Amino acid sequence: MATRTIEYGVGRNPEMGPGGTLAASPTEPFDAPEPDLGSETMLVNVGPQHPATHGVLRLIVELDGETVVNVTPRLGYLHSSFEKLGEYRTWNQIVPLTDRMDYLAPLIYNCAYVMSVEKLMGIEVTERCKVARVICMEMDRIFSHLLWLGTWSIDVGAFTPFLYAFQQREKVYKLHEALTGARITTSATRIGGMMADLPEGWTQGVREFADNLPATLDEIDGLLRHNAIHIGRTQGIGAISAEDAVNHGLTGANLRASGVPYDVRKDRPYYDYESYDFEVPIGCHGDCYDRYLVRMEEMRQSIRILHQALDRLPGGPINVEDPRVSLPSKTDCMSDMESMIHHFKLVTEGIPAPDGDCWFSVEGSKGELGMYVVGDGGPKPVRWRIRPPSFVNLSAIPKLSEGHLMADLIVINASLDIVLGEIDR
Amino acid sequence: MNPFDLVAQGPAPSGDATRAERGANEAEPGNPTVSALRARFSDAVLGNSVTAGDQDVVHADPARIGEILRWLHDSPAEQYDHLADLTAVDYGGGRPIEVVYQLWSIPHRRALRIRCALPLHALEIESATGIWTGADWLEREVFDLFGVRFAGHPNLRRILMPDDYGEGHPLRKDFPLRGRFSRAEQTRRALNQDPESYYVPGEIGDRVPQVVAAEPGDPSLAEEDHGDEDD
Amino acid sequence: MGVNQSGLPLLGSPAFVTTRLDFVVNWARRNSLWPMPFGTACCAIEMMASAASNFDLARFGMERMSFSPRQADVLICAGRVPYKLAPVLRRIWDQMMQPKWCISMGACASSGGVFDVYSMVQGIDTIVPVDVYIPGCPPRPEGLIYGLMMVQEKIRRESLANHAELRAEDPLAAGRPRAGDQEVADLTGPFGNSTDQNRVSGLVATDAVRRSEDRLP
Repeated sequence: MATRTIEYGVGRNPEMGPGGTLAASPTEPFDAPEPDLGSETMLVNVGPQHPATHGVLRLIVELDGETVVNVTPRLGYLHSSFEKLGEYRTWNQIVPLTDRMDYLAPLIYNCAYVMSVEKLMGIEVTERCKVARVICMEMDRIFSHLLWLGTWSIDVGAFTPFLYAFQQREKVYKLHEALTGARITTSATRIGGMMADLPEGWTQGVREFADNLPATLDEIDGLLRHNAIHIGRTQGIGAISAEDAVNHGLTGANLRASGVPYDVRKDRPYYDYESYDFEVPIGCHGDCYDRYLVRMEEMRQSIRILHQALDRLPGGPINVEDPRVSLPSKTDCMSDMESMIHHFKLVTEGIPAPDGDCWFSVEGSKGELGMYVVGDGGPKPVRWRIRPPSFVNLSAIPKLSEGHLMADLIVINASLDIVLGEIDR
Repeated sequence: MNPFDLVAQGPAPSGDATRAERGANEAEPGNPTVSALRARFSDAVLGNSVTAGDQDVVHADPARIGEILRWLHDSPAEQYDHLADLTAVDYGGGRPIEVVYQLWSIPHRRALRIRCALPLHALEIESATGIWTGADWLEREVFDLFGVRFAGHPNLRRILMPDDYGEGHPLRKDFPLRGRFSRAEQTRRALNQDPESYYVPGEIGDRVPQVVAAEPGDPSLAEEDHGDEDD
Repeated sequence: MGVNQSGLPLLGSPAFVTTRLDFVVNWARRNSLWPMPFGTACCAIEMMASAASNFDLARFGMERMSFSPRQADVLICAGRVPYKLAPVLRRIWDQMMQPKWCISMGACASSGGVFDVYSMVQGIDTIVPVDVYIPGCPPRPEGLIYGLMMVQEKIRRESLANHAELRAEDPLAAGRPRAGDQEVADLTGPFGNSTDQNRVSGLVATDAVRRSEDRLP
């Protein structure tokens, strides 16, 4: 498997010890005995309404002085019961729910959901659709990582990268809008294909975006990678070993920063990902700085995939030509009785899925995004379960932040790249 | 087999106990773990099937699930070190709730799904937190939304719903979509929550809240019948 | 204009003084609104996009996002609000100083949106008073900016003469539902979204959906 191990390149100032404290502290020569302050700890409540919790996460932090003793995350402040609502929707009606779950990378969710249902139904989508979905997913991986980059840099104390990242994000917003008509809530996919074929000139827009992005990435990277403050605040902070990371169920960039080359695109390739030439970035230390490096590299690799996918985008239909799954064209509907009946049945009854269950996972922007769908032969699911990557990633935060400073907790939380809509569902 | 042939048969009657297996074909399991499991735990493996084309499912005895999971995780030939997902499915109609484990072996690149059927009167199964730390929150979520208890879980509390949520377990099929209480009662209860609760050292971990559940004739229950689960 | 609450003319040149004073006060208030971004879900991302360089809320004197409710003027509730979050929202509203305004951004905050489910507040107007509702799922940044300008317009028309009436707040009502039981039931009743298609399609008999105030005598 093509992986790329990323070395630090720049280390922290050798005078700095772990955690940002000076190894040779100027106060050491005095060697004053530390006063006994007792062992009482203090509780600090962070959230649910706090700018650094990336939504409505609540962290109850037990502090000894300024050192974190324990973190108790409390969730559910955005529990919108997607899974229950899905049981009352037909298979195609669920698509609009998926992009409200992870609003940072909506197209990945749209695609992952329909891919799982297509797997359950045994539908093979057309070649054009496969490549179009790869373009959508890679574009939204960048889209999500750019938002992470912006908020992450705010959390380490830099505001400029946020503005730079949002300028690039606006370009993706425009591409979303051209594709689907909505800026965030795309709902672009349907079972058996896409809502509509790619609009004229859209691929050219994606190509321009992919061409221009590296310059912005270099610019932001230049602000952060060798920045002493950034390095001091992230190197050695929130490190987790490969073994622990796997045991905690971490996935995505958080796992790969610890050195485990697990990427669903490589390990269980879907949509011919094995035929794309790209590398999986791997970190060495598993700390916040490594997570930063891995995500930056992932964006560059996504650009590579985007170029390859744009080059190989074939012509032909984008939807499967199966009247039980795809809506007939408007012209057919108006002129052909059989098409009209198909249209009527599809719209009023929905698509029936076979009896059985199916697990399907893709490499989302936050980690392994799994969908577990159970059908009973009817047009609605018995169960629609999402394996939320950031939910599992966040569960490691007590382990990651133990012994670090309160300010580092914010950085650790930002480095995990969570989205609350998906954690609480 | 064309999956739509099954569709043509129409939905199975809800009392049919075999319906969950109907979609499975009789193909040989593609995953060598299945036969290894059958050889080692012949009495605890109740069956196996292949769904959605190539996905191997093992139906296990819930009483021995801890043993099986431990072996799958530790045995050098298996090494299912990544617990991809842990969830539950309620099929409704009084049928058992199934706990579903989705495992992945990073070294061997193999996937395996294990399903354990728990009858509604005995919703308890051994916790997997001792094997995968990541199972902690997933099990809490299953407890919260389905009411399945995990024996040996260090901190089995509600995770998504408020700790003193009085309406039950939302993802059960008998739970109406809009909840059991009227909207006015839900709003009143929501505003009477104390955002500062569980904010004192002793209370974070182990205080079990007093749940005030409504009696069947309680006026706070919604009058109308909200959802039709078979709809 | 020009009269105080009791209806008597003010001293001096009442009409002139209060109108000019109103103008100055409202001009100052509306051009330096400090929003309190209560962002929960998708709408919060659009709110961030509005604050970023392409849309640039700073043009309207609103770039100073105040994450502390005590220094904020406008509560922008962006995104869905579950019942678990309701007391938090109410508390933040109660912590804000008068004068204050509230914007409900997006379909979920305004009405519950598609989430007509057990865990979601069906419109934040059952919890806090709302001045401007912005439709959309999520609203575009232009929509948010337009909503903020509507708040500005609303402020422009306020008068100090009825300040006490406009800014009345009952401390005892803090933490209580703002809407009464009947109103909550009416506001949140099945409104014909797709989970209740039977009602809409007329297959199940049902009364017309009405709010209590809408009923004719």
